[in-house]
Amino acid sequence: MSSYLGGRLVYALFVLWGSLTIVFVAVRIVPGDPAQMMIGASGTQQDVEALRHRLGLDRPLGAQYARYLAGAVRLDFGQSLRLEEPAVQAVGERLPATALLSGSAMVLAVAAGLPLGIAAAIRLRSAVDYLVSVASLLGQSVPNFWLGIMFILVFARWLRWLPSAGIGGVQHLVLPALTLALLLIGVLTRLVRSGLLEVAGEDYVRSAYAKGLTRRAVIARHAIPNVLIPVVTVVGLQLGNLLAGAVIVETVFAWPGAGRLLVDAIGNRDYPVVQVAVLCITAGFILINLLVDVSYAYLDPRIRYR
Amino acid sequence: MAGDTLAGGRPTFGRRRFLGNAALAAGGALLTTAGRPVRAAYAAAAAPAGELRVSLPARIVGLDPMGTQAAEESVRVVSAHVFDTLVVHDPRTRGYRPALAVKWETPDPATWVFTLRPGVRFHDGGTLTARDVKASLERMVAQKGPFAPLWAAIGSVDAPADATVRIKTKTPVGTMLANLSLLSILPAASMNNPGFFNRPVGSGPFRIMSYRPDSELVLDANPSYWGPAPGVKTLRFRDIPEIAARVTALITGEIDLTYGLPPDQLATLRGNKDLHLQTTPSYRYYFIWMNIKRSPFTDKRVRQAMIYALDTRTMLTTLLKGIARPMTAPIPSTVFGYAPQRPYAYDPAKAKQLLAAAGHPGGLDTSMIWNPGSGPQDQEIAQALLSYWNAVGVRVKDAQAERAQWLDRLLKLDWDLDLQTNIVITGDADFVLRRLYTTQANRMGYSNPTVDRVLELAAESVDQNKRKVYYGQVCEILWDDAVGVYPFELLETYASRRTVRGFVPTPTFPTFMSVTVGR
Repeated sequence: MSSYLGGRLVYALFVLWGSLTIVFVAVRIVPGDPAQMMIGASGTQQDVEALRHRLGLDRPLGAQYARYLAGAVRLDFGQSLRLEEPAVQAVGERLPATALLSGSAMVLAVAAGLPLGIAAAIRLRSAVDYLVSVASLLGQSVPNFWLGIMFILVFARWLRWLPSAGIGGVQHLVLPALTLALLLIGVLTRLVRSGLLEVAGEDYVRSAYAKGLTRRAVIARHAIPNVLIPVVTVVGLQLGNLLAGAVIVETVFAWPGAGRLLVDAIGNRDYPVVQVAVLCITAGFILINLLVDVSYAYLDPRIRYR
Repeated sequence: MAGDTLAGGRPTFGRRRFLGNAALAAGGALLTTAGRPVRAAYAAAAAPAGELRVSLPARIVGLDPMGTQAAEESVRVVSAHVFDTLVVHDPRTRGYRPALAVKWETPDPATWVFTLRPGVRFHDGGTLTARDVKASLERMVAQKGPFAPLWAAIGSVDAPADATVRIKTKTPVGTMLANLSLLSILPAASMNNPGFFNRPVGSGPFRIMSYRPDSELVLDANPSYWGPAPGVKTLRFRDIPEIAARVTALITGEIDLTYGLPPDQLATLRGNKDLHLQTTPSYRYYFIWMNIKRSPFTDKRVRQAMIYALDTRTMLTTLLKGIARPMTAPIPSTVFGYAPQRPYAYDPAKAKQLLAAAGHPGGLDTSMIWNPGSGPQDQEIAQALLSYWNAVGVRVKDAQAERAQWLDRLLKLDWDLDLQTNIVITGDADFVLRRLYTTQANRMGYSNPTVDRVLELAAESVDQNKRKVYYGQVCEILWDDAVGVYPFELLETYASRRTVRGFVPTPTFPTFMSVTVGR
């Protein structure tokens, strides 16, 4: 296992370096200049040039890149152009909020998707099944900004059950997490349902029933474990969608997370913040997918890593 | 303590420890009640009480009043509550009131001497002296933020006595007071400490208690403020960017006041009996520049045609109801230096005539850049403009772009038409006219030596009456030369819960010093 992990680590470093480089070039190719954005429409051309020089933006691209990499290995990712603090601090202050939101959404998705998928598979072609199928399709197709605003109107404005925006206690987490989770719930429900139906025809399921196990025991001990591998894979892959959705949900619900910061930073051409935020997202992705791959060994005893 | 462990070896909360803790708790409670600031120390009239929760339309991007974000309205609102300035702009008189400076004089046009108010303390207890004013002004210039160019003519700042500040300028500066109203006074001793601006210290009516970026800034009343005590004990700025969420928060009572709402949301709020709407003229306006260096806008007749083609009155009543009013000069009527001009009528026939006379009988093709989100109803306004111009034969392509790209093209003069909003931050015509309409500024290709000369005279005159006359002249020239289209000046509507009392909106950014929150 340790040599497997070692290999994955090397691969991870390579991916991180690649993402860093691609983003570095991409933000600088796109039209729009951070110095201009900072000075706004009221400054003179000299002011803009002076600021570009101060920020080191007038150096050749290669020199800027080399300087950036040299800093990166020391974990110094530069100063945010707009926020007047280190880019790492700007992102780091907001990452916990995004992690809380995305994590809660993922937990919610699994907690809802599994039982709903099972219920639909058990009561095949019944009212429950059709209801769950329609609901999961809606969950996947409804745009999350619309859903978020609808939730605010219904649960905050009309029913007054929950707060409308911001971060605070658990009650502030409910609506944003639910909005974010809905797409994943839809995906998971359908996945679990079709997975169970596929597994239902297998020999070992028939043998399990023949042994005299109740349906609950068959599902819990034989069917679900075999469905878990694709489920876990999809959950890991959906992390990207979750983070993309988090940007919108964070804006709608005034959640002070890194997603909002990233979008604002792109609009403002705040290069250091964009680079750090993307690096964090890449690292998160790599970590989650590593956990997913490692979990296979636990979910399926036949899989062994060397 | 051996006697506290059970036979199993695990220490328990024995009786001795419990009694000890209880004694500590009681002692602590006694200490805190004795140490809490006694309310009687305030003036007999109204001690600050209660909490006001405000949601600004844009988030607070930082707490440095001199940094690159200093021009952002959210930063200026917060600065006004945490820091003091030498003078404060009074929109009603279009003049300036004493604040940290109790009197000032100009022994000669290039020298200003300010006498400071005695006994002013910073939030950390330090005394505010002329040295702090000197250091703050020097930092403002050194930071090269958006307000630094206002100080281009500064020669030197001296603090000959604790309560005297002498500012010498290279040439006379007529806008000295306007510029000083934007200069927050920071403590010289600590302002350069690293991390100072994470929780900056000022001398204003409120101090910073906590700041969670993108979420909430909490201020509390300064008990040793030199001026009248604020009405509320706690002032919270909550960041809620999404309009639906912000309006909901106002309706449910999660916030007490907000503004910057689109007309359809205002209509929803008007019927709500828990809420109170107040509308005020502002320093903000819409305008359309025409690139005078590019054909066909080099010809004044074409520019005039573009103005005659627009029915601004209909646009106001249908698109901008309650949020704008007609504009009658190149600067809003609320600004010092405004002089009303004769409005251009809505006359599409005359527009076509002018175009034909200028050599475009079959109309012409051009484009308009703008940045969506820069002003209320901008999409609707842009569409309306395009269709009015189309009706007289001017086919305008919609070249909207995100802010960074729009700004890039704007500053490179790579455009034909530009639609945008602007705010006259100081409430003084110099802020807009001299920065944007001189030959040197070259923002839309207009070059008129008379305008350059008059604007310079106005900037260098310390006689405010003379300055008003100069700006009146410039308004007339720009208007007659059809340098741009100035269709609307914007109104701002503040929505607050009825428990909020004493809030007086003005054309400049909102302040909440005298606001109280009742039951």
